Amino acid sequence: MNNYLEVKNLSKSFDNFRLHDISFTLPKGYIMGLIGPNGSGKTTTIKLILNMLKRTEGEVKILGLDNIADEQAAKKSLGVVFDSNYFSDDWKVSQVEKSVSVFYENWNTQRFSELLDKFHISPAKKVKELSKGMQMKLMIACAFSYDAKLLILDEPTSGLDPVSRDELLHILSEYIEDGEHSVLFSTHITGDLERAADYITYISYGELFFSGGKDEFVDSFRIVKGGREELSDDLGKKAFGIRDFATGFEALIKTEDIKLFAHLNVEPATIDDIVVFTSKRGEQYE
Amino acid sequence: MSNILKSVKLDFSLVRPYVKTICFTMVLPAVFAAINRSLLTGISFAMCFIAMTSGYTFSITEKNDMERLYSILPVRKSELVVGRYAFSIIMGLLALIFSLITHPVILSSLGETVSTFDIACAAAVGIFLFALYTVFQLPGYYKFGSIKGRVFMYIPVAGFLATLFLITKIPADNSGWLITVLSSPVMLVLLAAVLVVIMYVISILVSVKIVQGKEL
Amino acid sequence: MKLIISNISGIPIYEQIKQQVKSAIMSGELHADETLPSLRTLAKDLKISVLTVTRAYTELEEEGFVKNIQGRGCFVLSRGSELLKEQLVCKIENSLSEAINAARVAELSGEELHRLLDILMEEKTDE
Repeated sequence: MNNYLEVKNLSKSFDNFRLHDISFTLPKGYIMGLIGPNGSGKTTTIKLILNMLKRTEGEVKILGLDNIADEQAAKKSLGVVFDSNYFSDDWKVSQVEKSVSVFYENWNTQRFSELLDKFHISPAKKVKELSKGMQMKLMIACAFSYDAKLLILDEPTSGLDPVSRDELLHILSEYIEDGEHSVLFSTHITGDLERAADYITYISYGELFFSGGKDEFVDSFRIVKGGREELSDDLGKKAFGIRDFATGFEALIKTEDIKLFAHLNVEPATIDDIVVFTSKRGEQYE
Repeated sequence: MSNILKSVKLDFSLVRPYVKTICFTMVLPAVFAAINRSLLTGISFAMCFIAMTSGYTFSITEKNDMERLYSILPVRKSELVVGRYAFSIIMGLLALIFSLITHPVILSSLGETVSTFDIACAAAVGIFLFALYTVFQLPGYYKFGSIKGRVFMYIPVAGFLATLFLITKIPADNSGWLITVLSSPVMLVLLAAVLVVIMYVISILVSVKIVQGKEL
Repeated sequence: MKLIISNISGIPIYEQIKQQVKSAIMSGELHADETLPSLRTLAKDLKISVLTVTRAYTELEEEGFVKNIQGRGCFVLSRGSELLKEQLVCKIENSLSEAINAARVAELSGEELHRLLDILMEEKTDE
C-alpha cells in the first residue's frame, strides 16, 4: 500500500458553511501541508478524516482502511496532534503513558522514555506544568511509541515560539526519513511549510484550490510589481489578486503568463503570497 | 484486555486525583446512619453521595477537552460508553460494600441490633437506588455535558429526599402489595435485580445512541 | 561534501543542490563511484522537502552525472567530470563566438581580440 491517506470527494454541509468535494492523496513517506486561511475548512477536513464529524459525502482511506467501516483498525496506526493537548491536566507524564498505552498492543515503553529524554520532558511533571511546546511533544511521543504510521497535526504551530516550531519541523523530517511514515500538517502559518513539505493541499472557502507537489505549486505562481501606470486591464484580468497602493501595485499571476509582463518586476511567490492573493480574489484592499 | 476494561482503566485514572475526596464523602453517610440510628437511611445517603460523583469523569473530560483523545483511540464509542457505566457501577459497589461494613459496625457499637436481613435489605435498596439515579444521570451527562447537565448531579438528592419520604410513609400504608413484596426478601431482591438490569440496558442503549450521534 | 542552501538567492533549492553537486564533481571533491548523501537524510539535514532533493537527484541523473541504484543510493559516474568539462567547453565556445561576432562589428582585429583576452585573464588572476 503506497498511499497512507486518500480523501475522495469529501463533502460536509453545515448550516452556514460547506466543505465541498475535497480530494487529495498523501503517499507513504512524505509530508503534506494542509493550508488555507482561518475558517477555510482545514479543521473540518481533519475532523472528517478522524470521523469526529459525519461526512455528507465522499470517502476516506487511512492506510488503505475505510475511516468509518474499519475505524478501530485504522486508528491503531494513526497519531494525532491537536493545537492543544488532550490529556487530563492533573495527570503526571508517567500517568499519561499508563492511561494511553493500554489501548495500543505495540506500545513501546522504552521508546517512550527515550523520547521523553530526547524532548527533555520529565515523567514526574504534571501535564499542566508543561509548556505548550512540551505538551505538543508529549502528544508526538505517544504517537511515536505505538509507531503510528500516519501523523496528523491540526494547527500544531499556532501559539508556539520559533524554537519549538523549528524543533517540530526537525522531529517531522526525522519521522519520515525512513520512508515508512507520513505527515499531514494543517497550518495557517505557511512559513513552516515553505521548506519541509513535499505536498500542499490548499483549501479556500470550503473548496479545493490545489493539491500536489509543493515545488510545483510555488513554481506555478509569480509576483509582479510595478508603478500604478503599469497596471493594465490585461494584467487585471490575468491576476489572481492585486494589491494597489499610492506608489505602485503588486499582483499574483500564473507563471505561464509571465511573458506578457516581462517588462515589469517579476519575483518568485511564497506560499503566503499565494494564499493571501488568492483569498482576496476580486476585492482590493488598502 | 478487552476494550471495555481499558476504558474502565482510563476512567479510573481520570478520577484518581479525586479518590481522597470521594472516600471522605463516604464518612458523612456513616455519621448520618449513626444519628438516625437507621442502616437503610445511611445506605440511601451513601448511594446518593456516590451517585453524585458519577459526573466527575464527565467534568474532567470536558474541562480538558478529552473528547479529542477519545476520538483518536482505537476503540468503539459504544465500548467507551459501556466502560463508563462499568466504572460507575464499580464505584457504586465499592461505596456500598464500604458502607455495608462500616454502618452496621457503628450502629452495633451504639447498641442497635443489625440483622443479616436488614443488611440484605439495605444492599438491595442501595443497589436499586444507585441504579435508579445513574441510569438517568449518565445519558443526561452524555447529552448535555457536565456543565450544562449539572442539574443531573442533583438527581440523587431529589431521589434521596423522596426515599426518606417513602421510608416514613411505608409503615402507615400497610395494606398494599408493597408489604407483601417487602416481607419476602427473595421477591424484593428478584424484583430489584430485574428492574436494575432493564434500566441499565435501556440507559446504555440511549447513551450509545447519543454518543454516536454527536459531532465534535 | 559541503552543501549550502540559500533562501534569499532566488535560485530554486533543487537548482542550488544540482549546482553544488556539479561543482563538487568538477573540483574532484566527489570522485567516481562515490555516493551522494542519502536523499531522505539530506532532506532532513537541510530541512527541505524530500521531493525537492528527489528532483535535484533525478535531474542530475538525467544529465548523466550520477546513477541512482534502487536501495543503494546515488553514485557519481566516472564520466561525470568529463561531461561537465564538455558542457563548460561548449559554453566557452558559445561565449567566445559571441565575442568574435561583437569584435567583427566593432572592426577589431584578431590580434586586438587576443590582447583583450590576455588583459582580462591577467585582471582575473590579480583578483
